[in-house]
Amino acid sequence: MSLLSTIGRKLAEDAKNILLTPVEAARDVRYTVRGVRKGEIPPADPLKTAGATAGALLLVLLLLFPVYWILQAALSGTGASLYSASGLSLLPEEPTLQPFVWVIGDLIVPAYNVTVDIPLTGQSLVFSTPEVTFLDASAHGVDRPSQFKHFLWNSVTVAIPTVIIAMCLIVPAAYALSRREFIFRRKILFLYVLMTQVGGGLGIALLIGLYAIYVQFGLNDSKLALAVYYAATAVPFNTWLLKTYMDGIPVSYEEAAVVDGAPPWRIVTEVIIPLSTAGLATVLIFTFLTGWTEFVVAQTLLGTENYTLPVGLYALIDEYSIPWARFSAFALTFATPIMLVYLFAQRYIEGGLSFSGMEG
Amino acid sequence: MSTVSRLTQRVEQVPFLEREDYSLLFVLPGLFVFAAFMLFPVLYLVGLSFTDAAPANLFAGEGSFAVLTFGEAAFVGLTNYVDVLSDPEFWNSFGVTWLYVGTSVVLKLGLSIGVAMVVTSDRVRGRRIMRSLIILPMGLPAIFTITVWRSMFSSADFGLINQLFRQFGAEPVAWLSTRWPAFFAYNVTEMWLAYPFMVIITVSALQDVPEELHEAATVDGAGFFARFVHVTVPSIKRPVLFAAILTAAASFQQFLIPFVFNQGGPARANELVVVYGYREALSFSQYGRGAAISLIAVLFIGAFMWINVKRGKLADGVSDE
Repeated sequence: MSLLSTIGRKLAEDAKNILLTPVEAARDVRYTVRGVRKGEIPPADPLKTAGATAGALLLVLLLLFPVYWILQAALSGTGASLYSASGLSLLPEEPTLQPFVWVIGDLIVPAYNVTVDIPLTGQSLVFSTPEVTFLDASAHGVDRPSQFKHFLWNSVTVAIPTVIIAMCLIVPAAYALSRREFIFRRKILFLYVLMTQVGGGLGIALLIGLYAIYVQFGLNDSKLALAVYYAATAVPFNTWLLKTYMDGIPVSYEEAAVVDGAPPWRIVTEVIIPLSTAGLATVLIFTFLTGWTEFVVAQTLLGTENYTLPVGLYALIDEYSIPWARFSAFALTFATPIMLVYLFAQRYIEGGLSFSGMEG
Repeated sequence: MSTVSRLTQRVEQVPFLEREDYSLLFVLPGLFVFAAFMLFPVLYLVGLSFTDAAPANLFAGEGSFAVLTFGEAAFVGLTNYVDVLSDPEFWNSFGVTWLYVGTSVVLKLGLSIGVAMVVTSDRVRGRRIMRSLIILPMGLPAIFTITVWRSMFSSADFGLINQLFRQFGAEPVAWLSTRWPAFFAYNVTEMWLAYPFMVIITVSALQDVPEELHEAATVDGAGFFARFVHVTVPSIKRPVLFAAILTAAASFQQFLIPFVFNQGGPARANELVVVYGYREALSFSQYGRGAAISLIAVLFIGAFMWINVKRGKLADGVSDE
């Protein structure tokens, strides 16, 4: 619970900061205007500031333009471009959410018949659940919706085993590396740190070997085998991350528990695990995203039927029949939740690593 | 007697282990899985590079045991390496890769130092919000960013870059099907992909530059440029160098951009070395050759990182305790 409330507090702080920015800016401007009138601030000074700020703003907008462009492409119904008969236009001409309907497709819970046998009477009761329609794609003029849900399901069935396997491997190792002294400890740590730096590129280079082994064992096109591979690649970085996090938990807590007579396993379940929830959450998110966003290995190993979301996205760009608006909507539906989660996790480690358990 | 203490006693009986070394058991599962899926393929790849493996012979053997004998592939010694190293196609790929490392690192450094200086400048208001906006793309999955940039360079109607060209009266360019424009497109995309990371590092380096140094230099009559060269650069050199080395390694291993853009085309002209190895093996079914190329690439990147880590003493920060 304390984790959730901390997150809530941070979000509230962010929202307040954003809302207060215009107020601050207005106050700033008023102060400057008064200063210039009284002659305390030379008039050229605020002009320079305004110019610099405008320039910086322009730079920020330019850098983020691709994101804006894809958003407006997704919202423009015709899949049209910025460039139209009336010249460059920055707003979509006929905004519509139809491309997103195409991505998501039907959201219908079909009717089920539930049969319950009544014992001893030989009779049975039949319940029919009603059909629940959240979104009917054909009502919005979409005939053949995308395979998004299919890919999504594949991604889920890859990512969840990845998380489970990875957590089983990472948590005990991180604890031991943080708290115990044993043979080869520093060598293993060094290997893990080294692997966080070079792991990514090595992955693609050894993909040939991996592919050959998987085919020989008949494991290619198996989502579970892919999940184990992802979990293995996630081990070095995340173990090291969680270990660093656990290092920040004061040893005095454990000592207190030992004095109170707690056996080793209770120290872990009642001191270490509760105090490292933030670190655990971060590692959980990172391992989940490993499986969720990886493309190359998934594309090489999986068959069409088992494509995950990134591979599905890549498969779309080669179909020239796909209207541009639909591609953009697909890409955004895939990427936006990840971006939000990732940025949040990213911020949270920065805060999390300096978090001290001493306050309570 | 609990399992743990029984285990402890067992451990004590092994000559070179101490009583507390049973903690190693917590680490072993992770280490084992990691080794099985990362280190074993490397060894396998080494073996593969000495054979004439191709789908026909490699997957011919019966049962799982055939993994160890590489199916029915024959041992050919160093033939693959000799072939690769005497193949002009390989040297083209190798050259393009180093060229790419050079151009993209310079571009990435230029852009991110520029952006970082702007968003830390005293003149600019609202710096904090700008900074958090600018690093937003960091959270986007690489495959998203790259497919979007591919569409921007697309020759189809919606291709943004060509739209802008037309708007300003220039001839549209067939970005992805001409060699150097495609290479340029790779660089631009790489720049956009990497800048948030570089900007974060550069900004924190810039914030650590003591204000007094700048003031002292201003008093001595140094202009903006002189201050940049004599105050800013020396103070941010180390962290930026660190970022540059990491990002150079990323450029060297770049796979997704060429692969998604045009499979390293046109006509295999822009295949960076990792793409080259991958395509030789999986698109042209020459596993042995592909393995040799990949290993050469790994050797180079390993040597590159090793030299940098040794010379730049980069490991100091991470080797902890």
